[in-house]
Amino acid sequence: MQTNQEKQDGVEVGAYVPIGSEAYSEIVSFLYEEAMLLDNLRLQEWSERLATDLVYTAPLRQTRLGVDHEKTFIRSVQHFHDNYRSILGRIMRLSGKSAWAEDPPSRTRRMVTNVLVRETSCPNEFAVTSYLMMTRSRFSADDVDVISCERRDIIRREETGEFKLARREALLDQSVLGTPNLAVFL
Amino acid sequence: MLTKTNPVLSDGTRVSDLIYPDTREVQMRVLSDREIYELEMDKIFGKTWLMLGHESEIPNPGDFMVRDMGEDSVIVSRDKSGEVHVLLNVCPHRGMRVTLTDCGNSQIHKCIYHGWAFRANGDFVGAPVEKEKMHGSMLEKAELGLKRARCTLYGGLIFATWNIEGPSFEEFLGDAKWYYDLLFLRSDKGMEVLGPPQRFIVNANWKTAGEQSAADGFHTLTLHRWLGEIGNYSKKGEGEGEGGDLSPEMYGVEVSSPHGHALRCIDLARKIRRITGLDPEKLDVEEKLKALPPAGMTVDMVDQLKNNLSEDQLKVLTSMPPQVGGMFPNILFGFVYIPQPDGTVVGSMTMHTYIPRGPDKLEFCNWIFAEKDAPPELRQKMLEQTIQLFGTSGMVEQDDSDTWPHMTLSAKGAMGRHMTLKYQAVFEKGAPEGWPGPGIVNEGFTKDDTQWHWWLYWNELMNAE
Repeated sequence: MQTNQEKQDGVEVGAYVPIGSEAYSEIVSFLYEEAMLLDNLRLQEWSERLATDLVYTAPLRQTRLGVDHEKTFIRSVQHFHDNYRSILGRIMRLSGKSAWAEDPPSRTRRMVTNVLVRETSCPNEFAVTSYLMMTRSRFSADDVDVISCERRDIIRREETGEFKLARREALLDQSVLGTPNLAVFL
Repeated sequence: MLTKTNPVLSDGTRVSDLIYPDTREVQMRVLSDREIYELEMDKIFGKTWLMLGHESEIPNPGDFMVRDMGEDSVIVSRDKSGEVHVLLNVCPHRGMRVTLTDCGNSQIHKCIYHGWAFRANGDFVGAPVEKEKMHGSMLEKAELGLKRARCTLYGGLIFATWNIEGPSFEEFLGDAKWYYDLLFLRSDKGMEVLGPPQRFIVNANWKTAGEQSAADGFHTLTLHRWLGEIGNYSKKGEGEGEGGDLSPEMYGVEVSSPHGHALRCIDLARKIRRITGLDPEKLDVEEKLKALPPAGMTVDMVDQLKNNLSEDQLKVLTSMPPQVGGMFPNILFGFVYIPQPDGTVVGSMTMHTYIPRGPDKLEFCNWIFAEKDAPPELRQKMLEQTIQLFGTSGMVEQDDSDTWPHMTLSAKGAMGRHMTLKYQAVFEKGAPEGWPGPGIVNEGFTKDDTQWHWWLYWNELMNAE
């Protein structure tokens, strides 16, 4: 594995944190707990794990030739373009009386895998990539929507020892999403 | 003159019998029936002008993007001279899609199957091993180009139709153009996209979204009630009720059209009073424009409006500006003034198309716009706000895309398909006194007339040749 300094989405990343190490396990636990909270509609508790300088985005994808792979990620118009305040706004709406897109709520299953953790130039921040496969079951439909993406996160260890999500970019796989909205978090 | 041909479905029902003009009802079968859907592909999507995007998406010679006209894939390309072309994305040789990517830049589009190549204007260049003439000698090269649609630009928006000899785009818009000009032709430099469109699939018939775009005001009161409860409209004006009540937003003027176009023009005086604290009665046109510039413009930009719009148009823009509505058959526009927590206003400029993907599936395509010369901070605010309220993750439109599939399911039941959609809330007042604009104009609390006129045009086209 590479251990040299390089840039990943503008963040200086360094050595991989070994799989099985204590720090790695703590971060995987953070991601699993996050998936559990979201799947169980515990949005308020999830929000407590967000850093107040959160940047939360989901680029569009386009089908391009192989040589143009980098151009498949569109970061002008995106599917999500949010910050801490707007995510709290979304949670407030979903917790209100009239958020019909998620009331009755979808039954979701967030499977988080392929977690890789790298050090960054900030000793308390980790660059974490993970794969997310979410199934979304709605009403009595006998099929589920599948939402798949790679998440590129910055996860920060606070002075208290708690982890916070400081940045998430969800790189969705579909150029035309097969779900009628993103009223669910990635 | 259109000739009525009155198609009859295989069970003996006439399509025209699915609409009840006396009671303003539409049989729900139209939302699920495959035969009706197939007819629509010819009689509507094969005939009307359709929106494919904006020229700012393909600024350079050779730029192209792949879009849809009904279920037909088309290449929208800009040639060397700068002209925009709309070409059927089907190789005339063996029917392969010529372009498989969403966009790119190329002077030549070459089919990967047998290598036939075409210019950005659709002309056939040739096939491999030229001297062996893969294309034979039965047809001239000039006859082997990509099939070309008729194309026009309006405010930079790209429209195309397969109805080569049919009505011009101006005729298609008719009187409604006078109002659309207030949105699309208002500024000196025009508008541009802030990026490619968001795209996602909704399991619903395209008309559930299409008819709503014809200025359905009533649904806002209930489906989007959160806006009043906790959203951008939760701060109420004096004496304007409490809780989720959005009814004060529902007064204005609605413009409808014999071609199914529709605009909801919402009272600006109330907004000026609430947002700026000024008395709109005491302001002239210019003062009103500066007090509350049109959605997406700044105070510095409003002088441009006088260069591009007539006095009468400015009167409407400063009293009852169009904010939401659509163009037949599958377009929605929103040019909305969104109140901010700090008491200011940020505009959103968005357009959607609802592309048919079968009787019970549509693709929702959402473009976000800004004026070309809007300052960067405003563009950024508009971009983020529009993504947060409209389209894929938009907190307003999430609820719409979860509603339309249920209407489509309802229309499949043996009983449900014979139930009706009702458009029985009828305007009674007509246009406000001294209203300077053309068209079918009605004043008051929102009603169903615009959507009913949408269905009448649907019916007219379905029964025409």
